[in-house]
Amino acid sequence: MTADPIARPIAVPPAIPAATPASAETDPVAPLDPAARAVLAAVADHLIPAGHGMPSAATVVGDTRLRFVLAARPDLLQPLLAALRPGLGDGSPGGRLAALEAEGDHLAALQQVVVFAYYTDRDVRERLGYPGQMAKTLYSWKVPDFIEEGLIDQVLARGAVWRDPATGRRADVPASAYEAHDAGPAADRRGEPS
Amino acid sequence: MAKDPADVLIVGAGASGGVVALRLAEAGFSVVCLEQGRWYDRGEFRGPELDWELTMRKQWSTSPNVRALPQDYPLDEADADISPLMFSAVGGSMIIFAGAWPRMLPSDFRVRSLDGIADDWPLTYEELRPYYERTDRQFGVSGMGGDPAYPPGGEDPPLPPLPVGKGGLRVARAHARMGWHWWPEPNAILSAPYDGRRPCVQRGTCQQGCSEGAKASTDLTHWPKAIGLGARLVTGARVRRLESNGKGLVTGATWIDDAGAERFEPAKVVVLAANAIGTARLLLLSTDDRHPDGLANSSGLVGRRLMMHPFANVGGLFDEDLESWQGQFGCSIESFEFYETDERRGFVRGAKWGLAPTFGPINAALPSRAGTQVWGPEHHLHVKRHLGRAANWGLFGEDLPDESNRVTLSPTMADSSGIPTPEIHYRVSENSRRLLDFHIEKASESLREAGAYAVEVDRLMRYSGWHLLGTARMGDDPRTSVLDRWNRSHDVPNLYVVDGSAFVTSGGVNPTSSIAALALRAADHMVATRFDQQVPA
Repeated sequence: MTADPIARPIAVPPAIPAATPASAETDPVAPLDPAARAVLAAVADHLIPAGHGMPSAATVVGDTRLRFVLAARPDLLQPLLAALRPGLGDGSPGGRLAALEAEGDHLAALQQVVVFAYYTDRDVRERLGYPGQMAKTLYSWKVPDFIEEGLIDQVLARGAVWRDPATGRRADVPASAYEAHDAGPAADRRGEPS
Repeated sequence: MAKDPADVLIVGAGASGGVVALRLAEAGFSVVCLEQGRWYDRGEFRGPELDWELTMRKQWSTSPNVRALPQDYPLDEADADISPLMFSAVGGSMIIFAGAWPRMLPSDFRVRSLDGIADDWPLTYEELRPYYERTDRQFGVSGMGGDPAYPPGGEDPPLPPLPVGKGGLRVARAHARMGWHWWPEPNAILSAPYDGRRPCVQRGTCQQGCSEGAKASTDLTHWPKAIGLGARLVTGARVRRLESNGKGLVTGATWIDDAGAERFEPAKVVVLAANAIGTARLLLLSTDDRHPDGLANSSGLVGRRLMMHPFANVGGLFDEDLESWQGQFGCSIESFEFYETDERRGFVRGAKWGLAPTFGPINAALPSRAGTQVWGPEHHLHVKRHLGRAANWGLFGEDLPDESNRVTLSPTMADSSGIPTPEIHYRVSENSRRLLDFHIEKASESLREAGAYAVEVDRLMRYSGWHLLGTARMGDDPRTSVLDRWNRSHDVPNLYVVDGSAFVTSGGVNPTSSIAALALRAADHMVATRFDQQVPA
């Protein structure tokens, strides 16, 4: 999204631009040196190892996925680098994660980068049977299952469930006063909102 | 040369501002609106994109403090149990709202009379019903008439209900067995083409902007029409204060443009529509010798009685694949079974339940609502158990007004224009905690009856302050209320407040339909009394 030139609020972090394509000059993974990548791979496998028909995170979270994540969420780069810095913990992935418990923002960034990269991978999503947030066509003229099954009729048969302010008790309205209905086929009422 | 004052200046181009602008423009008023945000193009919304679940936690967060966009102002919420949520744009927070569109119930307007606590509204459900019906048509509401949770009669929503989904059907069957109320949720989301807009595609990303334009927001439903009738909408306009004269009338607003220059917009009547935090902030900022405690604040209630609907999420896990990442994020079904007061429960008032989708795989791994993170060898089973196999009841508990829950001006924090930022003071009451505990138990029972093999609970979500209400309440007595029964300031006869600030009590339902109906009612009153309206010379 375009940055609005209106005065920027203070006391909160600056605005983060939307994802932009990586270029050679602005490659978001460039700040990750080989040592940081090795640590990231070890931690990724510790968090999400292979199993249950799913690949390990280290085999998925390569430059392509990291580039995607850090382009979309450049705010994560600095806390990620902090979480991957040398000398943190006892040298094991578990030790590093334990040490990061005291650095909540850094731990969260590390977990998010691994999860974001892993679950935006096409193969991972296919193995999960997750096609993404799909656009589906609505058929509003179809009679819904809940009508066919009589579920609405059962609600209506119980009558009013609202409290009448005049009496303070459940409204004394016969169930026969209620009838479920919608406005009819969509084609009858396109475009007249007033 | 001095500018001619507009008939009406509106501050804020969201739900209520859009409704008032269109009604007044239709009646021939000259209308100007100052909006601190900008227009959004639907192509900017991330729902169809792979980065949707990434950006929803930052750039498209519902919290201005997390999002930190240039048009957002920061909130000091260190003293608040719940974080207020909002969005600055043409369309306002409707851009990121879920779309659920239930009405308040008759008892909501009579809490004092019925339950001996809080206050009654100066109007009734029956008085508001015609406005609900008109705004239903304006926004394009999908739903089913005849719900026995409301008085019978009246006009149906203009469009048939949206699908209830596999999860909704399971829970509806369970409620049929238990004899509990349920009903297809009314949503301001189109189930069929309407008013030049396309219907919902069930993508489930409503809270990050609707890419289809199926979810109603006033940038689609009201502003184009109002502008077509001559209304002028200024974006990137941050209002610093309202100005008033020696006769006790407001004369316009001082605002800061997108180049940082200070400007003045004169007006005969000013309408505040900046949400219950922004409006209270602006009234408190508008001090002068005659109004040392802020404008329209002789009652001392401006900023007080903030209500935000404490929210709990109860998620059921099912063996069946429910494809629960899809469907309108406004709700599929609702239940009012336990909405009304039963004092045997140990609290007063109740909550509306709404069943909602459960996001994609990233939310299954890093839950933003109920649930836990699982790492290591069990991670994959955890994600597979959650992805598409969950149904979530969202519980909105009625939030009773408390004068110590309030908006003040921060003495230490300001936006970059130097305007003090709102400081939020908010504690969840004991009544609300008991209420949520009870409803969590009952919602868990509902999901188990529907077949859930496990239930996960988020008892009091921090980022759940979607509903901002009560900071300039209506009432008949100027000593105990800020606004009269027509949303007009008791103190300043040419000042109206039409957003959620006006609420006397919160009800226990999503409030946008009620905010819109009240705004339309206020606008009708402005039109009807136009020749009696006091204006600055």
